[in-house]
Amino acid sequence: MGKSRKTVQVIILFAVLLIGGYAIGSALFANNDRDPLKEGSMPPPFELADLDGSLQRLSDYEGKAVVVNFWGTFCPPCVKEMPEFERQFQKWKDQGLVILAINLSEDTLTVNNFVRRFELNYPILRDVNRKTERSYELKSYPTTFFIKPDGSIMEIKVGGMTEEDIDERIERLLQL
Amino acid sequence: MLLVENTKCECGHQNSVGTVLCESCGKPLENNDVSDLPLEMRYDGVARRSQKSNPNFIDRIWNFFSSVKIAIYLIILTFLTAMLGTIYPQENTFVNNFDPSVYYEETYGLPGKLYYLLGLSHTYETWWFIGLLVMIGTSLVICSLDRVLPLYRALSKQQIRKHLQFIHRQKTVFKHSIKGDGEQWAVQFGEQLKRKGYRIHRDGSALLAEKNRFSRWGPYINHIGLILFLLAILARSIPSWQMDNYITIPDGDTVQIADTNYYVKNEKFTVEFYSDEELPDKLKGTVRAKLFETKAVLYECVSNCNDQTLKPVLEEVKRHDIVVNEPLKYKGLKLYQFDFDMTPRLNAVHPVLVDKQTGETYGPFDLPMKDSALQHKLGPYTLDLYANYMEFALGDNGEPTTLSRDPVAPAFVFTVKGPGLDAAGEPYMYFPMQKDKVKFSQDAINHAIADKIEIRVDGMENVDFSEASTHLNVRIDKALPYVWIGAVFSMTGLLMGSYWQHRRIWLRIDDNELSLGAHTNKNWYGMRSDVAGALQKIGITIDPKSLDNGGNNA
Repeated sequence: MGKSRKTVQVIILFAVLLIGGYAIGSALFANNDRDPLKEGSMPPPFELADLDGSLQRLSDYEGKAVVVNFWGTFCPPCVKEMPEFERQFQKWKDQGLVILAINLSEDTLTVNNFVRRFELNYPILRDVNRKTERSYELKSYPTTFFIKPDGSIMEIKVGGMTEEDIDERIERLLQL
Repeated sequence: MLLVENTKCECGHQNSVGTVLCESCGKPLENNDVSDLPLEMRYDGVARRSQKSNPNFIDRIWNFFSSVKIAIYLIILTFLTAMLGTIYPQENTFVNNFDPSVYYEETYGLPGKLYYLLGLSHTYETWWFIGLLVMIGTSLVICSLDRVLPLYRALSKQQIRKHLQFIHRQKTVFKHSIKGDGEQWAVQFGEQLKRKGYRIHRDGSALLAEKNRFSRWGPYINHIGLILFLLAILARSIPSWQMDNYITIPDGDTVQIADTNYYVKNEKFTVEFYSDEELPDKLKGTVRAKLFETKAVLYECVSNCNDQTLKPVLEEVKRHDIVVNEPLKYKGLKLYQFDFDMTPRLNAVHPVLVDKQTGETYGPFDLPMKDSALQHKLGPYTLDLYANYMEFALGDNGEPTTLSRDPVAPAFVFTVKGPGLDAAGEPYMYFPMQKDKVKFSQDAINHAIADKIEIRVDGMENVDFSEASTHLNVRIDKALPYVWIGAVFSMTGLLMGSYWQHRRIWLRIDDNELSLGAHTNKNWYGMRSDVAGALQKIGITIDPKSLDNGGNNA
């Protein structure tokens, strides 16, 4: 009698711990999920095609300093930034800098014409139906995410930057 | 030092610690022999399962949750914190892209900011609120278990001959001297009670009559329902068990429902308004919607679902005309009509090429606004798409550019080769919309080539546009059936417990002295009239009120 009572107690308390722990844990986890992206949080993963049609994942660049830039040909500050990123890319690529420029779901011809005009050498990724843009909670363009080698966000820069702005941030990113 | 309490009753029964009334004869065990007040009959005086003289760590946790007092505090705390969530709108009541970190401060000032920072803007999803629910659930399970098992044991093996003190200290008591054989009297009285629906157990001149014992299980069945209910609510946090999203689909488009394998196509959205004749005088001249309808097709992706470079292969699974309150339902997925947007959107045109010299037309060819084919061959002409713009404009530097990515003012630049044209091709700029043709003076831009050829659309049948976009609310709630099951259990338990009463009558006759005690868990008025009614049938007329032995709730 006493033995079985003890077993029942332990089983019930264990079940409570399991179910309750899961419920509370997922509430905690969901909170982080819904909080807006900010400095220090982990950027959402993505898997997008580049201009050659091969898939690129953010996770492919683990351990590297990554600049993720969202741009569109319809956004003049984005257009202005693209050649600046190219120069920065040439300057820092030997130190392992990765620049991923995600186009804001425009069509192929538009993107190709643009890239050809500016002779860009860093990967241009193609978002489809604004999916990645939504997961990054974009509100205006351009928006640039500076991602540290440890995979967390160092800074989210909304709006255009001067070349010095970019340079200064990349320097900080690479020294971290 | 702990003294082992002497819990042995004078009848020889060994009771467990915490027992109030002897489990066998019913004699009061605690030191209140001197009192003659009505007895505390809760749980028939048996000890709670977990009551122990030397509890260990696990017992202490168990005892914490086993306490009804704690349960009440938990419930009150949950009520109070739930109220906090009603001060300002919760985050999940906002549909569109909204930033809570800005919204609350902007709308409500400093209190709003604090509200957001304290996490009260999503009170019901906070870890501490869920924690409170988990604790209430635990308390429900443990409180019930600790009481229902001993109660079940006590009620299933009741002794018929109870201690005199037990009988005399009930709230309904009757004492009487009878003539003749006591056993005979008990049999007769039992017959009368049987007619009132009592089950009779007799032991010589002692008798136990009992009815509607099942109503005692009502609260526990109710608790099982509540536990199921709580578990179902908690189960919503399992991935893919719950979803409440919104999607926008222009006419003719197919859109993926985020985080699922489903795609929805809006074949046509229709909105109809009441005409003035149909409206009462008061509302004449106002716009009243009569019907919102989305002809929707649900697809399931069968392959290439996660590969961004390939087109997903879709398979139709369901077709339904969604109107308000008639959602598309498929395997727990529900699509409700939510809103609409009547802004038209140009999707494609099917223009022809006219040779102005011969008057001959070639085409039509298909020219979608997005991702058009790069080359079109029309008779002797070849059109190479050189550039396209969604919202054509001239930039600060005089170069053509686009102001947005939506086909608001689309423009196409072709390199045209053909008879009478430069062998290397000549540029031709084409604006599908008449307003843009005029605004940007298409013919002037195109110079000489404008005299040789023209690209134009003949008739509206060659224009493909979405008249409207529909907004659908996507819902999945796999927990709902379990919530219903829980609710049914809960209601059944509630009815069992409230519409029936567990009534018991004990009597014993010692030397022609009749002692009768009766107990019910509620409705003492009915209890007394049952006793008085049965007594009257065998010739003893008394006022039911005189049976009242005092005590509350009598």
